Amino acid sequence: MLANVNATRMELLRLRKRVALASRGHRLLSEKRDEISRRLIKIARQIQPLRERVEKELLETCRRFMLARATMEPEHTKAALEVPTKKFSLAITFASVMNVKVPQLTKEIAGEIICYGFATTSGEMDAALLALERALDSLIELAEKEKQARLLATELQMTRRRVNVLEHVVIPELHETIRFIFDKLAEAERDNTSRLMKITDIIRA
Amino acid sequence: MNNEQRTTNLDFYTYPSVGTDDWCYAFETARVRALELQMFTRAAFLDMANAENFEQAADLLSGTEYALPGPGEDFVQLESILLLRRTAARKIFSDLMRQKSIAELFKTRDDFANLRLALRRTLTEKPLLNDYSDEGNVSLDLFEQAFTEDNYELLPTYMQQAVEQAVLAYYQNKDIRQIDFVIDSFQADYNLKEARRLKSVFLIDLFGIQNDLTGIRTMLRLKFTESHSNVRPEQVFLKGGFVEPELFEQALELGYESLAPLFFATPYYRIVEAGASYLASEKSFLRAEQQCDEHLTGFLKSTLQITAGPQPIVAFLLMKENEIRNVRLVLTAKKNNLDTKLIQDRIG
Repeated sequence: MLANVNATRMELLRLRKRVALASRGHRLLSEKRDEISRRLIKIARQIQPLRERVEKELLETCRRFMLARATMEPEHTKAALEVPTKKFSLAITFASVMNVKVPQLTKEIAGEIICYGFATTSGEMDAALLALERALDSLIELAEKEKQARLLATELQMTRRRVNVLEHVVIPELHETIRFIFDKLAEAERDNTSRLMKITDIIRA
Repeated sequence: MNNEQRTTNLDFYTYPSVGTDDWCYAFETARVRALELQMFTRAAFLDMANAENFEQAADLLSGTEYALPGPGEDFVQLESILLLRRTAARKIFSDLMRQKSIAELFKTRDDFANLRLALRRTLTEKPLLNDYSDEGNVSLDLFEQAFTEDNYELLPTYMQQAVEQAVLAYYQNKDIRQIDFVIDSFQADYNLKEARRLKSVFLIDLFGIQNDLTGIRTMLRLKFTESHSNVRPEQVFLKGGFVEPELFEQALELGYESLAPLFFATPYYRIVEAGASYLASEKSFLRAEQQCDEHLTGFLKSTLQITAGPQPIVAFLLMKENEIRNVRLVLTAKKNNLDTKLIQDRIG
């Protein structure tokens, strides 16, 4: 920076404007970083119990399904689950959180999850499918929160790097350059003054 | 049944009659008695359930027909061994059963299972595939041809009627469950009709008990899933049992604690009492299903009083199938580190 700089008053004025802009950018980015951190912590606190709940519900679903499968004849299991009647679709909309586009998932569910008769199937299969249906709501919520957290974490990392670059590189370098130009200009001023004094002395002599 | 003398649940205390001896079956019954000695006892299942892990439980099978060929075998291989054992048991049953119509009656279970699967695929416009059971009365080639050409006249009469009714029921509101409801109901009717044609008191009573037990399980499942408003009770409760379907419909309106008194005058009081209280507390059907299996096994074990007859042979088949299911249950539970209490609750 120092090597390429023109030590002129115009440059000094330009650099002072840049410092003001960088300082304002730094302040705004710091505020953004703090806000993203706050939101990220809030989401992370929601994720932990949600994930525990989802894992528990999925474990329960698997346990019940294994018991059902073990007590049913294989051909009956196959026939029962061959044609699912529950229709599930997921709509994704995006919301802006601190200029980060985070997804919001909306599920659309139609039909019954129990899609078989009763004579050749086990009641545990009903319990497993109902548990899966319950787990699905939590699973979608968890997916939404985890995606939001991941996007916010990425944005936080980028913002923190920008803040650090401004704070530790750009603004100090600009200050240093300003000081350099100021010193150069001051030196030139002093040179000029001493030269004028010398000329005055010569003329008087 | 309207014109016939009908056995009601007031005519017996726990189990209905198993019929009388038929001395044509002296040799076959003796063979079955010998085979019954090799069957697992409850203690053997409890030992397996209490085993520390899957390997230890599998070790307990090493001296039996379910022994795994080598250590570290995967579960798929075990499944195939269990299916082979089931096929072998069914073959023994077919060979020993002198009345081929009884053997064919039990083979219709596979026909109806195949029909259920094929209809679900056909009506929802999915590929028919060829992964059907080949242990039924109808050969797979004929079955495939009938469905590929939409020519159901190739199938036996009982299947043609079932297909016709199931298709009509499905297209009423395109509800896939209607196929199962119709086939279940048709299968129950067909079993009873055949049992009456064969004049077999044992089979009539067996299918009656099976219909009742299915009714109890269905009633509990409808209550648990709170879906009794979505189905018509007359569709799901099978007729031909010792308990009138109206009793199950009545039970749907009651709370879990009021169910058992409703069945007090029936042999199923204990099943309903234990099943409903377990369902209310644990949200699980394990106890209800275990009690149903135990009741049916109790009836099948009462064929011990028959010295010779088809009854012990049928009982052997059904108990053997139950044993295979229990082996699968215990090993599945052990493989997946499920709680021992769950296994004990299911196998009793």
